[in-house]
Amino acid sequence: MLLSINWLKEFVPFTGTIQELDDALTMLGLEVEEVLHPFEGIKPMVIGHVVECEKHPEAEKLSVCKVDVGEEEPLNIVCGAPNVRKGLKVAVVKVGSVMPDGTKIKKTKLRGIPSMGMICSERELGLSDEHDGIMELPEELVPGANLVESLNLDEVVLDISITPNRADSLSVLGIAREVALAFDLPLTVPEYNLVESGEDCSEEVAIEIADADKCYCYYGRILEGAAIAQSPAWMRYRLVAVGLRPISNIVDVTNYIMMGFGQPLHAFDLDRIEGAKIVVDTAEEGEKFVTLDEQERTLKATDLMIKDGSKSVALAGVMGGANSEIHDGSTRIFLESAVFQPASVRRTARRLALSSDASFRFERGVDQLNCPEAMDRAAAMLAELTGATVRTGICKAEPKPWVAPELQFRPQRCRDLLGVDVEDAFCKATLEKLGCTITGADTADWTVVPPSNRLDYEREVDFIEEVARVYGMDRIEPVLPQVKRTLEARNDDCNEYEFWSLIKAWGCGLGLNEAINYSFVGHADLDLFNLPKDNRITIMNPLSSEQDAMRTELAPGLLQNLRHNLGHGNMGLRLFELAHIFEADETSDTTVRESGRLNILFYGDRFDSAYPRMASEAEYADIKGCVEHLLAHLHVGVPSFTLVEDHAWMSPAVNVVVNDQKVGTIGRINPEIADAYNAKKDVWFADLDTDVLRTMYVASNIKFASLPVHQSAWNDITVIAPITLNVQAIFDQVAATKLPLLEKMELIDVFVPEASEGAEETRNLTFRLTFRHSSKTLKDKDVDKERKKVVKSLENALPVRI
Amino acid sequence: MSLIHELESLVQELNSGLDQAFSLSEVEDLRVAFLGRKGKLAQIMQRLPELSPEERPEVGKTANIVKGKLTGMLDDCKTKLENAAEADKLAKFDPSMPGRMPWQGSLHPVTKVMTEICDIFKGLGYDIVTGPEVENDFYNFEALNLPPEHPARDMQDTLYVTDNILLRTHTSPMQARTMLKQEPPLAIIAPGKVYRRDSDLTHTPMFHQIEGLLVGEKVSLAELRGTLTAFLQEVFGPETKVRFRPSFFPFTEPSVEVDISCCMCGGEGVVDGQPCRVCKQTGWVEILGCGMVDPEVFKKVGYDPEKYTGFAFGLGVERVAMLKYGIGDLRMFFENDVRFLNQFI
Repeated sequence: MLLSINWLKEFVPFTGTIQELDDALTMLGLEVEEVLHPFEGIKPMVIGHVVECEKHPEAEKLSVCKVDVGEEEPLNIVCGAPNVRKGLKVAVVKVGSVMPDGTKIKKTKLRGIPSMGMICSERELGLSDEHDGIMELPEELVPGANLVESLNLDEVVLDISITPNRADSLSVLGIAREVALAFDLPLTVPEYNLVESGEDCSEEVAIEIADADKCYCYYGRILEGAAIAQSPAWMRYRLVAVGLRPISNIVDVTNYIMMGFGQPLHAFDLDRIEGAKIVVDTAEEGEKFVTLDEQERTLKATDLMIKDGSKSVALAGVMGGANSEIHDGSTRIFLESAVFQPASVRRTARRLALSSDASFRFERGVDQLNCPEAMDRAAAMLAELTGATVRTGICKAEPKPWVAPELQFRPQRCRDLLGVDVEDAFCKATLEKLGCTITGADTADWTVVPPSNRLDYEREVDFIEEVARVYGMDRIEPVLPQVKRTLEARNDDCNEYEFWSLIKAWGCGLGLNEAINYSFVGHADLDLFNLPKDNRITIMNPLSSEQDAMRTELAPGLLQNLRHNLGHGNMGLRLFELAHIFEADETSDTTVRESGRLNILFYGDRFDSAYPRMASEAEYADIKGCVEHLLAHLHVGVPSFTLVEDHAWMSPAVNVVVNDQKVGTIGRINPEIADAYNAKKDVWFADLDTDVLRTMYVASNIKFASLPVHQSAWNDITVIAPITLNVQAIFDQVAATKLPLLEKMELIDVFVPEASEGAEETRNLTFRLTFRHSSKTLKDKDVDKERKKVVKSLENALPVRI
Repeated sequence: MSLIHELESLVQELNSGLDQAFSLSEVEDLRVAFLGRKGKLAQIMQRLPELSPEERPEVGKTANIVKGKLTGMLDDCKTKLENAAEADKLAKFDPSMPGRMPWQGSLHPVTKVMTEICDIFKGLGYDIVTGPEVENDFYNFEALNLPPEHPARDMQDTLYVTDNILLRTHTSPMQARTMLKQEPPLAIIAPGKVYRRDSDLTHTPMFHQIEGLLVGEKVSLAELRGTLTAFLQEVFGPETKVRFRPSFFPFTEPSVEVDISCCMCGGEGVVDGQPCRVCKQTGWVEILGCGMVDPEVFKKVGYDPEKYTGFAFGLGVERVAMLKYGIGDLRMFFENDVRFLNQFI
């Protein structure tokens, strides 16, 4: 809401500074977002008086003027406007001044005649797009005076953020009430003088309201003999200052009264109203209706309409129709002032994406008791500005008159809720200043009747808020409460937040960078990963097609991060992200199953710095070791790794299984997918289910094993195996021999000798076998015996040589 | 030459040998050559039987003295060489050679701030709860006193999945979800992702919020102020001033907007003679919204609003992170550029 300070001062005799006003309103909950100076650009302009005006001898369309700007000599100005003539008062920019668009006015010559300035059109004055002629100013202005000051323009405008509950403050009057409250000033609402004439017209237009719940009251006045014209400059400037576009004297008056008093009004051309009646009723389903912005709208049976005897003429409370609009030839006006159901107006305005200043106010609620007075003010002003006569009488229907509620207020309850010792007298004075009527103020339980402009007073707590607001929220002394709670609340062993925190600390400590990506991606991203379509959650109203699906995997986001980083020269990445994935699930109360995922990405340079590390690149062992490290950290058990043949977006892909349960998959992003993200090297990836891991983690516990007493002994063996044989097969075979003394078996070296022509490719795998006896120290011969068992078992079961 | 003389000449001999020894292995060779089992001293002593029994003690005595001398000379030389080697090592030591640094990881600034805030409230006795990001209209709006067609729904532009299912616009649904499960007294903190249909320089369609809720008997606005003052001074420093001003949220009444004194200019509105860009010269920055739980919300979850009162608050995590770390561009939070991430170690 834009509020002009000059306009405000017509309603309340405020004399303080802008800063004082800004602070007071902000601390009362009417937050001043910005202080605007709408006419800063035209400040250098002065009033000029055209004292001479002759045709340019060399150019037919130009005039050579002498313009009195209050200086000793009049200025010589060449002007191209068709309407420039002797005697006019005009707006002049002198040489050296800067126009609103930044152009500096210079001394020039036009067809040989010097010009010492410029006479301005409305466009140059920021008033309209009119540029065909110069703007003609009122006679009485003094040459040389500053234009902005002479016209008393609204130089300072506050942009105030009005919260949805404060419909009462969507007008100069509403804010003036708050200013009066804050500074203890009287209200000085401008007077008006409505002169009615002619026969009573209250029966000339019959008002019919089909549903009292949708239209509480409807008032109309008839004006005759109106002359449509531009509004006077002061009104147009004022409307421009508060963000409205001047249209014509009739429309401008309705807007002016709405901004001043909060009641939206509409003017119909009475000659275009058929059947001498107004019917407030819902539209026909599918009805087509052209609003005055010339858009054709398709209506629903729930849209509330204003109709005449034969057709719809306006979308009630939202926008008028083109078919009954005021036009240049209009002389008879039907002026509407009504109150419509907020929800109904909002539904229609929202569905049609047609929010107007009127619908904005109706949605939030207007003061029903102010409805006829606002109409009368507008009628009086229309009479003055259009020369119309206002007919005697009002056409009206009020099926649902305003009934003030009777509400409870207990001062003690107020003190308890605020934690402040406010006195009864303060509460009473505050509520009365806000227009409430109180009975029973000598008891502990008051009855409060709110004023009609405060539709937000519905309950006791609303009054308590008002007491706090006027007392000053910022004066409330802080008290740190004791938190009372039961251990029951603490029954969750390790909730998602705690578990994720644990993993985040692990990841950060290990040396990974935590990433956070949007939960939505494009369907196209998911398609690229060959992900199923049937379980996706689609966003109905996405901001773009790149954000139209909830992600069913975290991978697309991390790959986008990879692309971004590669584009910025970051060549080695170790990212991890913890987030929900989203899949359709009919059994969920939100129709969506959200599961926790940990994804890890390794790419490119393994180390951040070259020396003293050897330059090397991330490979399978890095991602696998990282996952093994995590599982060890969580004490969930030793994982096994099994190849998956047909993974949608990783190859190779390897399932990670702990205690027969899959906890995730690791592997390399399919090269063609990686390529789409500009990755030239292998992208190693882990996709782990944190819900499964959390369950395992909660069930896990640490059991101490006593330290061995006797020394171990070790022995290395080198196995020459076909290159296609999995190392795991060797480990498994040794494990199957069940040697009680074998404590540990580790792979310590791999060597791939060059295969001779035609021979099978082999690799030499060196294992270290560690043996230990629980009650004695092993001797060499004991170890040799065990080693032989291992060799025999391997040679018998596998195609290997030792 | 007498044996004694021969023995004594060993000292001179070793001396000249040691003069030519420049390494520990050369010294060791000399030790073996002089004092070894078949060394020079031993060879001389093998000739002991050649002497008369009267001469033997004298020679034996001399041999012991010589052996002592030789051992001492060898040890001295060895120590000297060791010291020289150590001195050489120290002289060549370059402390400016790069360290073999293990990987440096980082937590996302959102996580860092979220953890800090949650830890403060955990310390005050709050429980941390989490919930779904895709929500029912009921939990996100209706239960929070935001019926359909309420103009306050305009305050939050919503991303919808269906007419009734949406991406939660705030963490406040956790209020209703918790209260429907639990009886008062309760004190919870609900961190998480939230979504709005909004994207520009100062808005991203996804961001993070932290919701707080405390319900009990006779909980007051003064206690809300006490809680938030303590919390904000913990996060932004003890000098931070906390300002309460009236606002509106459908689920709280009274509703309060909380400002803190600008951490960039210290509330002065001016930094180095220039207008402060963070607070736009007002000296205050908006930090969170809060209020006393609206009785309608209690009614929706079956609490008696006459018996119980409570307060709730919600704050944007990115906003706190931007103020705390001086991050100017909101979009950086979701690009995950490692040059950005690595600054939050």
